[in-house]
Amino acid sequence: MRILVLGAGTVGRWIADMLCRRRHSVIVVDHDPHNVRRINSELDVRAIEGNASQSTVLFQADVCGADICLAVTGDDEVNIVAASMAKALGTRRSIARVYAPAFRDLSTFDYQRHFNIDSILSLEQLTAYELTRAIRNPDAIPLEHFARGQLEVYEMEVAGKSSAAGEKLRDLKIPGGVRIGSLAREGRMWIASGEDELHSGDRVSLVGMPDAVAKARVLFGGSSERTSKKRVMIAGGGETGYHLAGSLSPHDYRIVMLEQDVDRCEHLSKLLPNVTVIKANANRRSILEDEGAGTVDHFVACTGNDESNIMSGVEARELGAARVMCVVGRPDYANVVGKLGIDRAVSERDVLARQVLGFLNEGSVISQRRLPNGEIAVYELEIVEGSQVTDATLAELPFAGRCLIAAIQRDGFVRVPRADDQLKPGDIVVALVDQASTEECLSMFNVA
Amino acid sequence: MKFADFINTKAIRAELKAVSKEEVIQELVQSLLDAGQIEADQKDDIISAIMKREELGSTGIGRGVAVPHTKHPSVQKLVGTVGVSSEGVDFDSLDGERVQLFFLLISPPERPGDHLRALENISRQLRDENFCRFLKQSKTPEDISQLLQEADDNQFVSG
Repeated sequence: MRILVLGAGTVGRWIADMLCRRRHSVIVVDHDPHNVRRINSELDVRAIEGNASQSTVLFQADVCGADICLAVTGDDEVNIVAASMAKALGTRRSIARVYAPAFRDLSTFDYQRHFNIDSILSLEQLTAYELTRAIRNPDAIPLEHFARGQLEVYEMEVAGKSSAAGEKLRDLKIPGGVRIGSLAREGRMWIASGEDELHSGDRVSLVGMPDAVAKARVLFGGSSERTSKKRVMIAGGGETGYHLAGSLSPHDYRIVMLEQDVDRCEHLSKLLPNVTVIKANANRRSILEDEGAGTVDHFVACTGNDESNIMSGVEARELGAARVMCVVGRPDYANVVGKLGIDRAVSERDVLARQVLGFLNEGSVISQRRLPNGEIAVYELEIVEGSQVTDATLAELPFAGRCLIAAIQRDGFVRVPRADDQLKPGDIVVALVDQASTEECLSMFNVA
Repeated sequence: MKFADFINTKAIRAELKAVSKEEVIQELVQSLLDAGQIEADQKDDIISAIMKREELGSTGIGRGVAVPHTKHPSVQKLVGTVGVSSEGVDFDSLDGERVQLFFLLISPPERPGDHLRALENISRQLRDENFCRFLKQSKTPEDISQLLQEADDNQFVSG
């Protein structure tokens, strides 16, 4: 594929290198002549010097024939303008990286729609989801990344005493706004359908809007189930820390956040009423000791500075934190963190790289991800004019057990569909597809 | 676009009881529910969507005015209401002033144009000092609704 990468910072350079090693044709644009020279000499890609938001520069970079444009300069506005221009000039999919949350909010103004960009991503938010997943359950279906991050997936075990055990799925009274995505029993995982009967000990994944998921959980848990809350300490209250704290449910986690800036602390304590926000420097051993870093289940360092993250991670480990994760941006550091006793290093580059790989698709597929066990894949699909799936309601489509529409995104809003919903051109759906019938199912979405 | 196109007169509230940002939003969304403009089971979701928008930056635009808003798929057309608080409410406005006059809007996502035209209409009409002051001094919904009517008839700003 032909890929245009705008911006050759740490992230852009890494992505360009990765795509080039996978034998894609990559062109990089950066405004810094020094960066451009370095890339031209070190990587097997073409680098062009210039401002990514100028049409002449984009044109030189062959924007008209590109399959994907990734706008990852350090400037939100440049990224939005450039991604929008690329799309208008003929690039098939365009993606912009932004930092400021306002660009992803659509209540006052819908940037993604107005500028006709396929995806506006926040690396801080994606990184937070990655951390959230690692804390909650690394094997669960990674839907948080899809549908502008409005879905929640919760995996749980069906308790013997629960009202759901022994019932068929179609007979369960599941609240609207939630679907059962997958079922796992004896090491096998499959897409749930109405005929499946639940056994005690099965693992089910609930997909839906967060409130509805919380309500649905009581159906599957035993009445006496009251496990104690896990304790999480987050060092750094930037965008990543904020999204991480916000996506861990206060029902299951007790969260303490350390942040140095007084104003930011005040702001955070308003936004996150269930989180204990402490004004403190997470680099000080005495502070970590006093605030109980040694007794937490998870310690996450995301201060925005690699060295601080590694330092506080090492301290927390030494004090006795059960599991330690750090955000580490520099590729050359990734190697040492494991040796220092840090359980997991997450980087924005890797997070974006994974996201980008998901975008390298043909036809109506926007992105895809395979689940760890390999039997189910999650697709984000664009519904196009004339495809078979628009001809009937979801219940009437021959999808049972093979493909499950977990969510529909229409006009920027995400909801969990009901059986009588019908797909319309312009919708984007999140679908779980059984690997064995991938081809058959996807052909229903493409125009014959 | 005119006020009559999106402000529901039955939902207008003079003398708001609310004393905090969240209470104002709750009271005004409730007024739209009472007027039959939104569905009861969507109320909480709408309130939290409006609050979430406020977290990104207050919609208090200064001079004692705020325009809390959101898009929501449960409404079929743009719906809005007006509320006046005689004491004023701390709404984290940019100029730090308490807010007395509220325009609350909920619009369907598939009509972004209407949404923007309504916001534009509100801010254009409020540029008129007298209109703004009279609204804040209103004691009954009838007074407010009459002022909106006069504004629609171009009696305050031209065009």
